[in-house]
Amino acid sequence: MIKDITLGQFFPGDSVIHKMDPRMKIILTVVFVAIIFVVKNFLGFAVAAIFLASAVLISKIPVRTVLKGIKPLLFIIIFTAFFNVFYGTGVKVFPDISWLSWLTYGGLERAVFMVIRIVLLIIGTSLMTYTTSPVMLSDAIERLLSPLKHLKVPVHELSMMMTIAMRFIPTLIDETEKITNAQKARGADFETGNIIRRAKALIPILIPLIVSAFRRAEELADAMECRCYNGGDGRTRYKIYNFSLRDYIASIIMLAVLAIVIVINIFF
Amino acid sequence: MIITTENLIYKYGVGTPFEKTALDNVSVSIREGDYVGLIGQTGSGKSTLISHFNAILKPTSGKVIVDGEDLWQDNKHKRIQTRFKVGLVFQYPEYQLFEDTVYNDIAFGPKNMGLSAEEIDSRIMKSIEFVGLDKKFLQKSPFELSGGQKRRVAIAGVMAMSPKVLILDEPAAGLDPKGRDEILARIREYHSETKSTVLLVSHSMEDIAQNAKSIIVMNRAKCIMHASVQQVFENAGMLEKIGLDIPQITRVFISLHNKGYNVSSNIYTVQDAAKEIMRCLKEGGLYD
Repeated sequence: MIKDITLGQFFPGDSVIHKMDPRMKIILTVVFVAIIFVVKNFLGFAVAAIFLASAVLISKIPVRTVLKGIKPLLFIIIFTAFFNVFYGTGVKVFPDISWLSWLTYGGLERAVFMVIRIVLLIIGTSLMTYTTSPVMLSDAIERLLSPLKHLKVPVHELSMMMTIAMRFIPTLIDETEKITNAQKARGADFETGNIIRRAKALIPILIPLIVSAFRRAEELADAMECRCYNGGDGRTRYKIYNFSLRDYIASIIMLAVLAIVIVINIFF
Repeated sequence: MIITTENLIYKYGVGTPFEKTALDNVSVSIREGDYVGLIGQTGSGKSTLISHFNAILKPTSGKVIVDGEDLWQDNKHKRIQTRFKVGLVFQYPEYQLFEDTVYNDIAFGPKNMGLSAEEIDSRIMKSIEFVGLDKKFLQKSPFELSGGQKRRVAIAGVMAMSPKVLILDEPAAGLDPKGRDEILARIREYHSETKSTVLLVSHSMEDIAQNAKSIIVMNRAKCIMHASVQQVFENAGMLEKIGLDIPQITRVFISLHNKGYNVSSNIYTVQDAAKEIMRCLKEGGLYD
């Protein structure tokens, strides 16, 4: 059960942001990402950060949970910061120490700038996945991409595949745990030995897992056929999305943030 | 005592909003050579309890002592050795098969024990005999077999480790009545022939009455009773209250007894019932 939360990301709630049309959330997230890349100075980031912080507060998602989303990407953040330090120009920090002469204030500033950019990107996009269930998300993607149907892109099939894949992640994790325990009970040892030994030790888990994934796929296909599923054509929807007032207000606020950032870029 | 737990507590998801106590202060002792039935409603903690017996799960607090050794006091190596002493067959074990032949799959456990090739071979032969599979299956792929045959292969894979204690979680679930009787008879045979301890988890009171010598009753994460078959099934009211039952045949004999017939109400298997009816008829002079 614990795994589902961290993996599915979705954090149930009934805030305004949870209730927003998922299509609008995706569009606004894209706009937010664009804003982050438009920003040229720290003042712009301050505006974006204040906006994001208020959005997080409104969503009522615990700040700790939001910050936890950064953890898995910590390595990438540190890596980026580290390399950006070398690309700086300008005044040297330690002009007298020869082996530290490459360190400049420009480089440090650049590193901090990149870290802020990545952190805002992660928090901004994860706010969307925290407030939107995976099913709604793929549903919204399907609808946003539906114009591509005219170009013969199988939009419905793609989104159905996405939905099914996400639906089965917790199931497969469960299954992996069961099979691991069963093999452990037969004395399998996954924790000692060198890399090759450990990789070999995974075979008794992977084979039953793949076999059962195929079995499940077949069963699911049968179950869908029994209920007369035959693709997206002529399929009506249980849930009809409509943009409401809150969606329009949200988009106005987002555009305002974009405008402020552009103004800051020009004048500061 | 081959397995003892002392104040065993196990909690899922500690520190999350989903925290749940799956075992609450469970202290049970299992005698060497016993055939123990483990009953309880779905979600009462049966599977969690047996997963502690071979160190698959680590107790949140409390002790698990197997064959005189505290499982969580010593190093990891001991715990792996424990898994050879306490063989655990999970529910639907047929999904754990992975090797290219039945022979190799059964050999997986003994190989992990580090036995010689000859020893492994003789154990495989013995264990397929125990589960009642023909030798011709040995060179087949386990994925070609039927569901019931796969399950026997999986059980043989655990039996081949010659564990002192064999634990089976619903070994007959999803099998037809014939397959069910067959597999339980095989396990009974294994128990009497090897003198090993067997623990059977089942939802079927008939299967438990037919096989077990003593019964552990679980309810809501607690062990509420560990007694002989008779002592447990005498408490029909209590069992019903926690969503369990007594064997059908016992129900019949209790009604007969209450209606004034001169029969014992402590009848738990159909065989005993037949004997009891014969006795009753003879006494009544209606049959000889």
